[in-house]
Amino acid sequence: MTGGSAGEDGSTVEAAGGTPVLRVENIVKRFVTDSATVTAVDHVSFTVAQGEVLSIIGPSGCGKSTLFNVIGGLAEADEGRVVVEGRLMSGPDPAIGMVFQEESTFPWRTVGDNVAFALEVAGMARAERTKRVRHYLELVGLKGFEQHHPAQLSGGMRQRVAIARTLAFGPKVLLMDEPFAALDEQTRLLLGDKVLQIQQELAQTTLLITHSIAEAVQLSDRVLVMTYRPGRVKRIVDIKLPRPRTAEIIGSKDFGLYVAEIWSDLRGEASLGMKDAEAHLPQAE
Amino acid sequence: MTSGCPALGVGLLRLAILGTILLLWEALARSGLLFRDVVPSLAKIALALGHLGTDPDFYRNLRGTAAEVGVSLAIGGSIGVAAGLLLGGSRLLGKAFEPYIHYLGPTPKIIFFPVMIMWFGIGPGSKIAMGALSCFFPVALITAAGMRQIDEVLIRVGRSFRARPWQMATKIYFPAMRYPLLNGLRLGFGVAVIGVLLAETKMSNQGLGFMVMQSYSQFDMPGMYALLLVVFALAILVNATISRLGGLDSTQH
Repeated sequence: MTGGSAGEDGSTVEAAGGTPVLRVENIVKRFVTDSATVTAVDHVSFTVAQGEVLSIIGPSGCGKSTLFNVIGGLAEADEGRVVVEGRLMSGPDPAIGMVFQEESTFPWRTVGDNVAFALEVAGMARAERTKRVRHYLELVGLKGFEQHHPAQLSGGMRQRVAIARTLAFGPKVLLMDEPFAALDEQTRLLLGDKVLQIQQELAQTTLLITHSIAEAVQLSDRVLVMTYRPGRVKRIVDIKLPRPRTAEIIGSKDFGLYVAEIWSDLRGEASLGMKDAEAHLPQAE
Repeated sequence: MTSGCPALGVGLLRLAILGTILLLWEALARSGLLFRDVVPSLAKIALALGHLGTDPDFYRNLRGTAAEVGVSLAIGGSIGVAAGLLLGGSRLLGKAFEPYIHYLGPTPKIIFFPVMIMWFGIGPGSKIAMGALSCFFPVALITAAGMRQIDEVLIRVGRSFRARPWQMATKIYFPAMRYPLLNGLRLGFGVAVIGVLLAETKMSNQGLGFMVMQSYSQFDMPGMYALLLVVFALAILVNATISRLGGLDSTQH
């Protein structure tokens, strides 16, 4: 197994093939607390090619979510830049569509109106909006649920609504932060299949942030492993599993090898994180 | 639906409670234990209600009070919502102002009435001021609390889609706060009615509160009770209407 062209902090990590759509260059993000300045993300660079799925995996506390917010434009980086198709991003941009980890559908809107939200905000005409909403609801397998309210749907269906809402305005890059985190195991696997199928259908350039190794291997072309605090690029692993992939691939030997390889990278970082967390626990008397 | 007790049983019990109260009232009225009309018989109250229904004076006063309550709710409510949004939106302002509003809120506003009379005169102005003053506090507090309870991820969704400030307000903040806002409106209405009526009973020349005090000073007890019943009924009606407005949404929550 060969890893991608990987490099420690600073060196740009190029996409394996094709033109890069997303370039993340030397992102640094620090947080100032009362007692100290903590570097959450330290010179992280990578690119994502057209139609590629790149997963970022790392132990909790490695700055994954910070990176998500910076790339999505919801937080400002202290250094570095994010470029999509040659255009420098500043703040939220239509080129990047975010899907959040939390329950994020609007409970007071119908499913159809939820998906229409971004189009409405952008001032798209109603007729065009309706057409798009129908198309994207069908794409995520929620045809016929336009008039339902999120409360009437399962968690997995609600997350599909959120994905359809983000896809509907046609972002160049789909940016997802642990989109399956709130779901149960079986729903997660099925939704993973669905997302992969949609991603292939649209050739959607995707950046997925996750803490699940299996999920990363199943869905990705490449997996970027981050170090624990400060979050740096530890390594990028090429996943050369055949496509189309479904949850069935989880049983294959190659899949197991990839998971083992990534776990060996991640293990040290994760235990660092755990030690750190334990050190901050109040001592038992 | 309450588990274990059928809706019919609850309904019957409620009727029984009402019937018992009316029965006790009538018994007390007929016992002769109390001075003359202090507790008038139900028939007398019903008669007085009938008189009220044909009295043009009653309708004029009812309109006056309704207008005062409406205007005070509009003024106190909108200032309350605006203040609540500011307090809920800014941590600094919230921390600085909220203790004052919190502790001033439950104090009796009627002590400001003499000041209001000096400022706004003896007419509807001072009644509206009392109603608005009463209504401001609960509305501001509930709005501020409601604003803080908005699911933070929904705001991030709005920002990620580049919603402009007015879009954030109309498409996210207000719909997300619909329950607290309606609740604030309901409470605000309640205290606005109290403020206005209380002011009318103290010093005024029109309104239902004025009529109640007039009946009282003429010792027209049946008339007074009839007026009280009308006020109760109207308050219940408006409260139920506001709850209903909120209830329509609850199926969608």
